[in-house]
Amino acid sequence: MVSAMEIYQLLPREACKECGYASCMALAVALLTREKKLEDCPSLLNPKYLEKFTKLKELLAPLEKASETGLIIHPEKCFGCGNCVVACPVNVAAEPTRCAVGLGPQGDRVILAVEDGVVKCMNIKECKRFGPDRVLCNACTVTCPSQAIEFV
Amino acid sequence: MEAEVTIVAFQDIFQNEARKKGIYTDEYRQLSAQIILDKQDITRLGVKDGQRISVKNEVGGVVVAAKISDDDPHPGLAFMINSPWFNQLVRDDVCDTSIPGFKRIAARVSPSEENVTQISEILQRMRA
Amino acid sequence: MLCEDIELVLKDGAISQAKNLCRKGYGHFQALFIERTRPMIDGREVSLDQAISKAAEILKSAKSPLLYGWSNSSLEAQAAGIDLARRLGATIDDTSSFCQGILMELVLTGKVPTCTLDDVRNYADTSVFWGADPSNSHPRHLSRFAYYPRGEKRQKSYEEERICIAVDVRKSAMARLCSNYYFRVPPGQDAEFIESILAVLDGKIPRFGDKKRMIELGSVLKKTEYGVIFPGLGLVHSLQEKMDLLVGLVAKLNEITTFMVLPMVGHCNMRGFNQLLLDETGFINRVSFQGKTAVHGPEQSVMAAAKSCDAALVIGSDPVSALPFGTARALAKTSLIAIDPRRSLTTDAAKVVIPSAMYGLEAGGTSLRLDGVKIEFEPFFKSEHLSDEQILARIKEAI
Repeated sequence: MVSAMEIYQLLPREACKECGYASCMALAVALLTREKKLEDCPSLLNPKYLEKFTKLKELLAPLEKASETGLIIHPEKCFGCGNCVVACPVNVAAEPTRCAVGLGPQGDRVILAVEDGVVKCMNIKECKRFGPDRVLCNACTVTCPSQAIEFV
Repeated sequence: MEAEVTIVAFQDIFQNEARKKGIYTDEYRQLSAQIILDKQDITRLGVKDGQRISVKNEVGGVVVAAKISDDDPHPGLAFMINSPWFNQLVRDDVCDTSIPGFKRIAARVSPSEENVTQISEILQRMRA
Repeated sequence: MLCEDIELVLKDGAISQAKNLCRKGYGHFQALFIERTRPMIDGREVSLDQAISKAAEILKSAKSPLLYGWSNSSLEAQAAGIDLARRLGATIDDTSSFCQGILMELVLTGKVPTCTLDDVRNYADTSVFWGADPSNSHPRHLSRFAYYPRGEKRQKSYEEERICIAVDVRKSAMARLCSNYYFRVPPGQDAEFIESILAVLDGKIPRFGDKKRMIELGSVLKKTEYGVIFPGLGLVHSLQEKMDLLVGLVAKLNEITTFMVLPMVGHCNMRGFNQLLLDETGFINRVSFQGKTAVHGPEQSVMAAAKSCDAALVIGSDPVSALPFGTARALAKTSLIAIDPRRSLTTDAAKVVIPSAMYGLEAGGTSLRLDGVKIEFEPFFKSEHLSDEQILARIKEAI
């Protein structure tokens, strides 16, 4: 996953403050959390920075697939093992006779389920990392054998 | 440049999936005809990731692609997925337990100019 | 793992959606539609009747036929196979012969204590995967049984009440999940590793491995309430004739606490065949019915029999891919009959190919899961192909 520092080093760093942030580093962080887009940096849109713009676009591309909680799934890496499905506390609470004990979900109030051999993510708003009472739950990422799930 | 290595076989879910799609596919060959070598061994042999490697011993030989290991260092130890390529190197002696040395065989590895062995070649060797 | 919670949506003769199947299972189900075999003799397509007649002819006139495979067939088909072997005076063997046979025998004859996978889920607080990588070979093992689910006595599961230990020559995908409970053992040194565990269990200084970590491992094992060791091919092939070392370790552990053993079988019904043959002959594999009594030994293993037989029937298995070069070549050169739903190196090398229905999907039957639990399969997919059982019945008739 790309870091704020890597993004910062590719920005024009003209400190023009036109993005609304006091420093270019602050913008770099905002780009990482997707509060801002590359187009929000007027300096970057100058043709002389085209190479940097292209590189930044490339580095930030995976983030565009990430959900609002920052969850990204790489299905091509997924084993379909169901570890995340069974470890996810929201899944467990929603399906105490299924996911809690190792089986696939029956209802549709779960966040993670295995379909066609790989994991799919749904109802992401139910994830504990989302919302005002958010916590840094990482059950799905630490239980994955292949880093197919990660958080931005 | 040649090196002696001990090769241990293992299983891989993606190679297994490719096998189900067809044993004559490029994908199956690409995922099976590989040897995972420690960084030190790769440097000693003077090869790059993906370069062709000849793997030979008294049983037979195959040409596969080199892959750099991302494990903790294991010089002298290599890994191949259990596949027809690997089995070209496994002895078939019948001893008391009759278990072939599946998990651990010795072989010599060296860079190769030849193409990666095709599964059809392996089948031909069976018929020869 | 013979998972029973698989849900499929079928549309226009294809699977349009599959729920809960891991990548390995999904690949297996998709194989329903890929490279299915047709009846063949000498590479030419023939009618099914002709293929079956030819197979029967070959087996009938053979002096020392070999019947091999069996681990992916139903109990019903396996029983038919053993019966056929008796009638033909043939040698019969299955994949356990070069796979988990040695360990399976210990489990089935009660020489090591064993349990079910449901026991693992309900009670196990320590699971040891030794020379096995379930993440790649049995993907749903950890989520259904050994690590992540909640169980009767393990309601707090992996977060507080379960640990998994990986013992392996490499940092497998499974080992990465075990973090500091991964023990790397160089190839062939499992005996020394076992010695060291025995030492720490006795409060002595271990001779092999990082002393601090071994002592820590010892205390983890001692504090275990219900432990399970899952040996994979890595351990079985490393110990081979020294399996009594594992038996000794398990016995020692059971003096202190409860420790079970479950073999990490790779085929869907290998245990079924081993159990059936054991019940009938007293041996789990490698049996010849040539004489009056069943003979068992290395000469009856597929490794030897492939070379000494004059005809071979291979069912639901691909030994030409999976066995060492010499053995594979011997099979390819003999009068080989292959019964298989899909194309493989074995069907390509065979003189006679008989297409079969995919067991579990197109044909029903019973299997023994790796823990001995009986799983019944009801077919969900219609097929024109005969089941293994039906094919064997027709061969028997023709003979």
